[in-house]
Amino acid sequence: MAHPSQLGFQDAASPVMEELLHFHDHTLMIVFLISTLVLYIIVAMVTTKLTNKFILDSQEIEIIWTLLPAMILILIALPSLRILYLMDEINDPHLTIKAMGHQWYWSYEYTDYEDLGFDSYMVPTQDLTPGQFRLLETDHRMVIPVDSPIRVLVSADDVLHSWAVPSLGIKMDAVPGRLNQTAFITSRPGVFYGQCSEICGANHSFMPIVVEAVPLEHFENWSSLMLEDA
Amino acid sequence: MLATRALSHIGKRAISTSVCVRGGHGVAKVEDYTLPPYFDRREVPLPDVAYVQQLTPEQKSLKEKEKGSWAALSNEEKLALYRISFKDSFAEMNQGTGEWKSVVGGIMFFMGFTGLVVLWQRKYVYGPVPHTFDKLYKEQELQRMLDMRINPIEGFSAKWDYENKQWKK
Repeated sequence: MAHPSQLGFQDAASPVMEELLHFHDHTLMIVFLISTLVLYIIVAMVTTKLTNKFILDSQEIEIIWTLLPAMILILIALPSLRILYLMDEINDPHLTIKAMGHQWYWSYEYTDYEDLGFDSYMVPTQDLTPGQFRLLETDHRMVIPVDSPIRVLVSADDVLHSWAVPSLGIKMDAVPGRLNQTAFITSRPGVFYGQCSEICGANHSFMPIVVEAVPLEHFENWSSLMLEDA
Repeated sequence: MLATRALSHIGKRAISTSVCVRGGHGVAKVEDYTLPPYFDRREVPLPDVAYVQQLTPEQKSLKEKEKGSWAALSNEEKLALYRISFKDSFAEMNQGTGEWKSVVGGIMFFMGFTGLVVLWQRKYVYGPVPHTFDKLYKEQELQRMLDMRINPIEGFSAKWDYENKQWKK
Protein backbone atom coordinates (compact mmCIF):
# COMPACT_ATOMS: atom_id res chain seq x y z
CA MET A 1 0.00 0.00 0.00
CA ALA A 2 1.03 3.61 -0.27
CA HIS A 3 2.19 5.41 2.85
CA PRO A 4 0.63 8.79 3.68
CA SER A 5 1.55 11.58 1.27
CA GLN A 6 3.39 9.15 -0.99
CA LEU A 7 3.95 10.59 -4.46
CA GLY A 8 5.89 7.89 -6.33
CA PHE A 9 5.23 4.25 -7.09
CA GLN A 10 5.02 1.56 -4.44
CA ASP A 11 7.93 -0.85 -4.19
CA ALA A 12 7.75 -3.59 -6.80
CA ALA A 13 6.58 -7.01 -5.69
CA SER A 14 6.95 -8.67 -9.09
CA PRO A 15 9.68 -8.62 -11.76
CA VAL A 16 7.44 -6.91 -14.30
CA MET A 17 6.79 -4.05 -11.91
CA GLU A 18 10.54 -3.69 -11.38
CA GLU A 19 10.96 -3.32 -15.13
CA LEU A 20 8.17 -0.77 -15.22
CA LEU A 21 9.84 1.24 -12.45
CA HIS A 22 13.13 1.38 -14.35
CA PHE A 23 11.33 2.34 -17.55
CA HIS A 24 9.46 5.06 -15.73
CA ASP A 25 12.71 6.47 -14.32
CA HIS A 26 14.26 6.49 -17.80
CA THR A 27 11.26 8.13 -19.48
CA LEU A 28 10.63 10.66 -16.73
CA MET A 29 14.24 11.78 -16.92
CA ILE A 30 13.78 12.44 -20.64
CA VAL A 31 10.57 14.33 -19.86
CA PHE A 32 12.35 16.45 -17.25
CA LEU A 33 15.17 17.25 -19.67
CA ILE A 34 12.79 18.31 -22.41
CA SER A 35 10.65 20.37 -20.03
CA THR A 36 13.70 22.12 -18.63
CA LEU A 37 14.87 22.93 -22.13
CA VAL A 38 11.46 24.29 -23.13
CA LEU A 39 11.16 26.33 -19.94
CA TYR A 40 14.60 27.79 -20.56
CA ILE A 41 13.67 28.69 -24.14
CA ILE A 42 10.45 30.36 -22.98
CA VAL A 43 12.28 32.44 -20.39
CA ALA A 44 14.97 33.33 -22.92
CA MET A 45 12.35 34.39 -25.49
CA VAL A 46 10.54 36.59 -23.01
CA THR A 47 13.61 38.31 -21.57
CA THR A 48 15.78 38.74 -24.68
CA LYS A 49 16.97 42.15 -25.82
CA LEU A 50 17.55 40.94 -29.39
CA THR A 51 15.19 42.36 -32.01
CA ASN A 52 15.68 40.48 -35.29
CA LYS A 53 12.46 38.50 -35.65
CA PHE A 54 12.36 38.00 -39.38
CA ILE A 55 14.83 35.20 -39.96
CA LEU A 56 13.90 32.86 -42.78
CA ASP A 57 15.33 29.58 -44.03
CA SER A 58 17.47 27.78 -41.46
CA GLN A 59 17.92 24.24 -42.74
CA GLU A 60 20.49 23.14 -40.17
CA ILE A 61 18.39 23.74 -37.07
CA GLU A 62 15.30 22.37 -38.79
CA ILE A 63 17.15 19.12 -39.44
CA ILE A 64 18.35 18.98 -35.84
CA TRP A 65 14.97 19.59 -34.28
CA THR A 66 13.39 16.96 -36.47
CA LEU A 67 15.96 14.22 -36.05
CA LEU A 68 16.62 14.70 -32.36
CA PRO A 69 12.97 14.19 -31.26
CA ALA A 70 12.76 11.16 -33.55
CA MET A 71 15.79 9.65 -31.85
CA ILE A 72 14.40 10.45 -28.41
CA LEU A 73 11.14 8.73 -29.31
CA ILE A 74 13.03 5.65 -30.45
CA LEU A 75 14.93 5.72 -27.14
CA ILE A 76 11.58 5.59 -25.36
CA ALA A 77 9.84 3.15 -27.68
CA LEU A 78 12.47 0.41 -27.56
CA PRO A 79 12.36 -0.20 -23.79
CA SER A 80 8.61 0.20 -23.84
CA LEU A 81 8.09 -2.49 -26.49
CA ARG A 82 10.59 -4.71 -24.71
CA ILE A 83 8.48 -4.65 -21.56
CA LEU A 84 5.29 -5.09 -23.55
CA TYR A 85 6.55 -8.30 -25.10
CA LEU A 86 8.07 -9.38 -21.80
CA MET A 87 4.63 -9.21 -20.20
CA ASP A 88 3.26 -11.46 -22.95
CA GLU A 89 5.91 -14.15 -22.62
CA ILE A 90 4.74 -17.76 -22.57
CA ASN A 91 4.61 -18.72 -18.92
CA ASP A 92 3.64 -21.91 -17.15
CA PRO A 93 1.33 -20.94 -14.31
CA HIS A 94 1.26 -23.08 -11.20
CA LEU A 95 -2.18 -21.82 -10.34
CA THR A 96 -5.12 -20.29 -12.14
CA ILE A 97 -7.51 -18.06 -10.21
CA LYS A 98 -10.68 -16.46 -11.47
CA ALA A 99 -11.35 -12.99 -10.13
CA MET A 100 -14.97 -11.98 -10.71
CA GLY A 101 -16.12 -8.43 -10.17
CA HIS A 102 -19.56 -7.84 -8.71
CA GLN A 103 -21.38 -4.82 -7.44
CA TRP A 104 -19.64 -4.27 -5.02
CA TYR A 105 -17.18 -7.00 -4.10
CA TRP A 106 -14.73 -9.39 -5.71
CA SER A 107 -15.06 -13.15 -5.70
CA TYR A 108 -12.18 -15.54 -6.24
CA GLU A 109 -12.43 -19.09 -7.58
CA TYR A 110 -9.57 -21.59 -7.19
CA THR A 111 -10.85 -24.48 -9.28
CA ASP A 112 -7.62 -26.19 -10.42
CA TYR A 113 -7.83 -29.03 -7.92
CA GLU A 114 -10.88 -28.54 -5.71
CA ASP A 115 -13.87 -26.27 -5.98
CA LEU A 116 -12.85 -23.34 -3.81
CA GLY A 117 -14.68 -20.06 -4.13
CA PHE A 118 -15.29 -17.17 -1.78
CA ASP A 119 -16.34 -13.52 -1.77
CA SER A 120 -14.10 -10.67 -0.71
CA TYR A 121 -15.96 -7.74 0.81
CA MET A 122 -14.40 -4.54 2.11
CA VAL A 123 -14.26 -4.28 5.91
CA PRO A 124 -16.55 -1.33 6.80
CA THR A 125 -14.88 1.53 8.64
CA GLN A 126 -16.78 0.96 11.86
CA ASP A 127 -15.75 -2.72 11.91
CA LEU A 128 -12.01 -2.17 11.56
CA THR A 129 -9.79 -3.72 14.22
CA PRO A 130 -7.14 -1.28 15.50
CA GLY A 131 -4.43 -0.67 12.92
CA GLN A 132 -6.33 -1.98 9.92
CA PHE A 133 -6.28 0.25 6.86
CA ARG A 134 -9.50 2.10 6.12
CA LEU A 135 -11.10 1.32 2.70
CA LEU A 136 -8.35 -1.20 1.87
CA GLU A 137 -8.93 -4.24 4.05
CA THR A 138 -11.15 -7.14 3.02
CA ASP A 139 -12.67 -9.98 4.98
CA HIS A 140 -11.04 -12.62 2.73
CA ARG A 141 -7.75 -12.13 0.92
CA MET A 142 -6.65 -13.72 -2.33
CA VAL A 143 -3.86 -15.92 -0.97
CA ILE A 144 -1.22 -17.17 -3.40
CA PRO A 145 2.07 -19.05 -3.05
CA VAL A 146 5.10 -16.76 -3.32
CA ASP A 147 7.61 -17.17 -6.18
CA SER A 148 5.08 -19.09 -8.29
CA PRO A 149 3.66 -17.96 -11.63
CA ILE A 150 -0.03 -17.24 -11.17
CA ARG A 151 -2.60 -16.82 -13.91
CA VAL A 152 -5.59 -14.62 -13.09
CA LEU A 153 -8.69 -14.70 -15.28
CA VAL A 154 -10.60 -11.49 -14.69
CA SER A 155 -14.26 -11.11 -15.50
CA ALA A 156 -17.38 -9.49 -14.14
CA ASP A 157 -20.86 -10.54 -13.22
CA ASP A 158 -22.79 -7.33 -13.89
CA VAL A 159 -21.01 -4.14 -14.95
CA LEU A 160 -17.44 -3.17 -15.82
CA HIS A 161 -14.89 -3.39 -13.03
CA SER A 162 -11.10 -3.47 -13.09
CA TRP A 163 -8.78 -5.67 -11.04
CA ALA A 164 -5.72 -3.65 -10.14
CA VAL A 165 -2.78 -4.23 -7.77
CA PRO A 166 -0.20 -1.47 -8.25
CA SER A 167 2.74 -3.12 -6.48
CA LEU A 168 2.43 -6.11 -8.81
CA GLY A 169 2.08 -3.83 -11.84
CA ILE A 170 -1.31 -5.30 -12.74
CA LYS A 171 -4.49 -3.73 -13.99
CA MET A 172 -6.97 -5.77 -15.98
CA ASP A 173 -10.50 -4.74 -16.87
CA ALA A 174 -13.30 -7.01 -15.72
CA VAL A 175 -15.78 -7.11 -18.60
CA PRO A 176 -19.04 -9.04 -18.30
CA GLY A 177 -19.07 -11.94 -20.71
CA ARG A 178 -15.31 -11.78 -21.32
CA LEU A 179 -12.31 -13.50 -19.80
CA ASN A 180 -9.20 -11.32 -19.56
CA GLN A 181 -5.99 -13.10 -18.65
CA THR A 182 -3.09 -11.66 -16.71
CA ALA A 183 -0.16 -13.38 -15.06
CA PHE A 184 2.38 -12.49 -12.42
CA ILE A 185 5.01 -13.82 -10.03
CA THR A 186 5.50 -12.34 -6.57
CA SER A 187 9.20 -12.03 -5.85
CA ARG A 188 8.71 -11.47 -2.12
CA PRO A 189 6.10 -12.51 0.46
CA GLY A 190 3.75 -9.84 1.71
CA VAL A 191 0.33 -8.27 1.49
CA PHE A 192 -0.43 -6.19 -1.58
CA TYR A 193 -3.41 -3.88 -1.82
CA GLY A 194 -5.34 -2.58 -4.79
CA GLN A 195 -8.68 -0.98 -5.57
CA CYS A 196 -11.35 -1.39 -8.21
CA SER A 197 -10.26 0.74 -11.18
CA GLU A 198 -13.36 1.07 -13.33
CA ILE A 199 -16.40 3.06 -12.25
CA CYS A 200 -19.09 0.59 -11.36
CA GLY A 201 -21.70 2.37 -9.29
CA ALA A 202 -22.22 3.76 -5.85
CA ASN A 203 -19.61 1.68 -4.01
CA HIS A 204 -16.93 1.64 -6.67
CA SER A 205 -14.47 3.10 -4.18
CA PHE A 206 -15.34 0.46 -1.60
CA MET A 207 -14.43 -2.84 -3.23
CA PRO A 208 -10.69 -3.27 -2.67
CA ILE A 209 -8.42 -6.13 -3.64
CA VAL A 210 -5.94 -7.75 -1.24
CA VAL A 211 -3.37 -10.28 -2.47
CA GLU A 212 -1.41 -12.16 0.17
CA ALA A 213 1.74 -13.99 -0.97
CA VAL A 214 2.83 -16.73 1.43
CA PRO A 215 5.16 -19.77 1.31
CA LEU A 216 3.65 -22.82 -0.34
CA GLU A 217 2.96 -24.75 2.88
CA HIS A 218 1.04 -21.83 4.30
CA PHE A 219 -0.94 -21.60 1.07
CA GLU A 220 -1.80 -25.29 1.26
CA ASN A 221 -2.93 -24.91 4.87
CA TRP A 222 -5.01 -21.88 4.00
CA SER A 223 -6.74 -23.52 1.06
CA SER A 224 -7.55 -26.61 3.17
CA LEU A 225 -9.07 -24.38 5.85
CA MET A 226 -11.08 -22.41 3.29
CA LEU A 227 -12.43 -25.61 1.76
CA GLU A 228 -13.52 -26.84 5.19
CA ASP A 229 -15.29 -23.57 5.95
CA ALA A 230 -17.12 -23.59 2.64
CA MET B 1 14.64 34.42 -52.68
CA LEU B 2 11.00 34.29 -53.52
CA ALA B 3 10.19 35.26 -49.95
CA THR B 4 12.26 38.43 -50.04
CA ARG B 5 10.77 39.34 -53.41
CA ALA B 6 7.29 38.77 -51.97
CA LEU B 7 8.05 40.84 -48.87
CA SER B 8 9.42 43.76 -50.85
CA HIS B 9 6.33 43.60 -53.06
CA ILE B 10 4.14 43.96 -49.97
CA GLY B 11 6.39 46.77 -48.71
CA LYS B 12 6.11 48.67 -51.95
CA ARG B 13 2.36 48.12 -51.95
CA ALA B 14 2.04 49.41 -48.39
CA ILE B 15 3.81 52.66 -49.24
CA SER B 16 1.94 53.16 -52.45
CA THR B 17 -1.32 52.32 -50.69
CA SER B 18 -0.76 54.97 -48.05
CA VAL B 19 0.18 57.52 -50.72
CA CYS B 20 -2.98 56.74 -52.68
CA VAL B 21 -5.18 56.84 -49.60
CA ARG B 22 -3.69 60.10 -48.41
CA GLY B 23 -4.37 61.60 -51.78
CA GLY B 24 -7.90 60.14 -51.67
CA HIS B 25 -9.73 58.88 -54.70
CA GLY B 26 -12.57 61.20 -53.82
CA VAL B 27 -15.08 58.35 -54.07
CA ALA B 28 -14.98 56.07 -51.00
CA LYS B 29 -14.70 57.34 -47.44
CA VAL B 30 -11.25 56.73 -45.95
CA GLU B 31 -11.73 55.01 -42.56
CA ASP B 32 -9.30 55.65 -39.75
CA TYR B 33 -8.52 51.99 -39.21
CA THR B 34 -7.37 51.49 -42.79
CA LEU B 35 -4.62 54.05 -42.38
CA PRO B 36 -1.25 52.85 -41.10
CA PRO B 37 -1.03 53.51 -37.35
CA TYR B 38 1.80 54.93 -35.32
CA PHE B 39 3.47 52.50 -32.87
CA ASP B 40 6.46 52.36 -30.51
CA ARG B 41 8.16 48.95 -30.85
CA ARG B 42 11.68 48.03 -29.94
CA GLU B 43 11.90 45.47 -32.77
CA VAL B 44 10.48 47.78 -35.48
CA PRO B 45 12.20 51.12 -34.87
CA LEU B 46 10.71 53.14 -37.77
CA PRO B 47 6.90 53.25 -37.91
CA ASP B 48 5.08 53.98 -41.19
CA VAL B 49 3.83 57.40 -40.07
CA ALA B 50 5.15 60.24 -37.94
CA TYR B 51 3.65 60.74 -34.49
CA VAL B 52 2.48 64.31 -34.99
CA GLN B 53 0.43 64.67 -38.17
CA GLN B 54 -0.90 68.20 -37.73
CA LEU B 55 2.06 70.51 -37.26
CA THR B 56 1.79 73.83 -35.43
CA PRO B 57 3.27 76.88 -37.23
CA GLU B 58 6.44 76.65 -35.06
CA GLN B 59 6.82 72.97 -35.94
CA LYS B 60 6.29 73.79 -39.63
CA SER B 61 9.06 76.38 -39.54
CA LEU B 62 11.28 73.91 -37.71
CA LYS B 63 10.67 71.38 -40.45
CA GLU B 64 11.75 74.00 -42.99
CA LYS B 65 14.92 74.66 -40.97
CA GLU B 66 15.57 70.89 -40.93
CA LYS B 67 15.98 71.01 -44.72
CA GLY B 68 19.15 73.06 -44.22
CA SER B 69 22.36 72.08 -42.44
CA TRP B 70 21.71 69.98 -39.35
CA ALA B 71 24.77 71.44 -37.60
CA ALA B 72 22.81 74.68 -37.38
CA LEU B 73 20.12 73.04 -35.23
CA SER B 74 20.34 73.44 -31.46
CA ASN B 75 19.87 70.48 -29.13
CA GLU B 76 16.36 71.54 -28.15
CA GLU B 77 15.41 71.85 -31.83
CA LYS B 78 16.77 68.36 -32.53
CA LEU B 79 14.77 67.03 -29.60
CA ALA B 80 11.65 68.82 -30.83
CA LEU B 81 12.10 67.30 -34.30
CA TYR B 82 12.49 63.85 -32.66
CA ARG B 83 9.29 64.31 -30.69
CA ILE B 84 7.44 65.28 -33.91
CA SER B 85 8.40 61.98 -35.52
CA PHE B 86 8.29 59.74 -32.43
CA LYS B 87 6.21 59.50 -29.27
CA ASP B 88 8.52 57.62 -26.86
CA SER B 89 12.27 57.36 -26.83
CA PHE B 90 13.71 53.87 -26.68
CA ALA B 91 14.38 54.26 -22.98
CA GLU B 92 10.77 55.32 -22.36
CA MET B 93 9.19 52.55 -24.44
CA ASN B 94 11.37 49.82 -22.87
CA GLN B 95 10.82 50.75 -19.26
CA GLY B 96 8.68 48.41 -17.17
CA THR B 97 5.21 49.34 -16.07
CA GLY B 98 5.13 47.94 -12.55
CA GLU B 99 2.03 45.99 -13.57
CA TRP B 100 3.52 42.85 -12.10
CA LYS B 101 3.05 44.25 -8.60
CA SER B 102 -0.72 44.48 -9.13
CA VAL B 103 -0.77 40.97 -10.60
CA VAL B 104 1.15 39.42 -7.70
CA GLY B 105 -0.93 41.37 -5.22
CA GLY B 106 -4.14 40.15 -6.85
CA ILE B 107 -2.91 36.55 -6.80
CA MET B 108 -2.01 36.70 -3.12
CA PHE B 109 -5.32 38.35 -2.29
CA PHE B 110 -7.35 35.62 -3.98
CA MET B 111 -5.22 32.89 -2.43
CA GLY B 112 -5.88 34.41 0.96
CA PHE B 113 -9.57 34.65 0.23
CA THR B 114 -9.62 31.02 -0.81
CA GLY B 115 -7.93 30.13 2.47
CA LEU B 116 -10.69 31.90 4.36
CA VAL B 117 -13.32 30.01 2.39
CA VAL B 118 -11.58 26.69 3.16
CA LEU B 119 -11.41 27.50 6.89
CA TRP B 120 -15.08 28.43 6.94
CA GLN B 121 -15.97 25.19 5.14
CA ARG B 122 -14.00 23.12 7.62
CA LYS B 123 -15.80 24.71 10.54
CA TYR B 124 -19.37 24.96 9.26
CA VAL B 125 -19.82 22.45 6.44
CA TYR B 126 -17.76 19.30 6.93
CA GLY B 127 -18.61 16.60 9.46
CA PRO B 128 -16.05 14.85 11.64
CA VAL B 129 -13.27 12.77 10.04
CA PRO B 130 -13.37 8.97 10.47
CA HIS B 131 -12.01 7.51 13.72
CA THR B 132 -9.04 6.14 11.78
CA PHE B 133 -7.51 9.60 11.91
CA ASP B 134 -7.18 9.53 15.72
CA LYS B 135 -3.61 9.80 16.93
CA LEU B 136 -3.62 6.41 18.67
CA TYR B 137 -5.16 4.72 15.62
CA LYS B 138 -2.54 6.27 13.35
CA GLU B 139 0.22 4.92 15.61
CA GLN B 140 -1.33 1.45 15.48
CA GLU B 141 -1.58 1.71 11.70
CA LEU B 142 2.06 2.75 11.46
CA GLN B 143 3.17 -0.14 13.63
CA ARG B 144 1.12 -2.56 11.54
CA MET B 145 2.61 -1.19 8.31
CA LEU B 146 6.11 -1.76 9.71
CA ASP B 147 5.19 -5.23 10.96
CA MET B 148 3.82 -6.12 7.50
CA ARG B 149 7.03 -4.81 5.88
CA ILE B 150 5.10 -2.46 3.58
CA ASN B 151 7.42 -1.20 0.79
CA PRO B 152 10.54 -2.74 2.32
CA ILE B 153 12.95 -2.11 -0.57
CA GLU B 154 13.16 1.63 -0.99
CA GLY B 155 9.92 2.94 0.43
CA PHE B 156 8.33 2.88 3.83
CA SER B 157 9.77 -0.02 5.83
CA ALA B 158 13.16 0.45 4.19
CA LYS B 159 13.54 3.63 6.23
CA TRP B 160 12.88 1.94 9.60
CA ASP B 161 15.74 0.53 11.66
CA TYR B 162 14.27 -2.72 12.99
CA GLU B 163 17.27 -3.42 15.27
CA ASN B 164 17.09 -0.15 17.18
CA LYS B 165 13.34 0.40 16.71
CA GLN B 166 13.65 3.90 15.29
CA TRP B 167 13.70 5.63 11.93
CA LYS B 168 17.00 5.32 10.12
CA LYS B 169 19.13 8.44 10.40
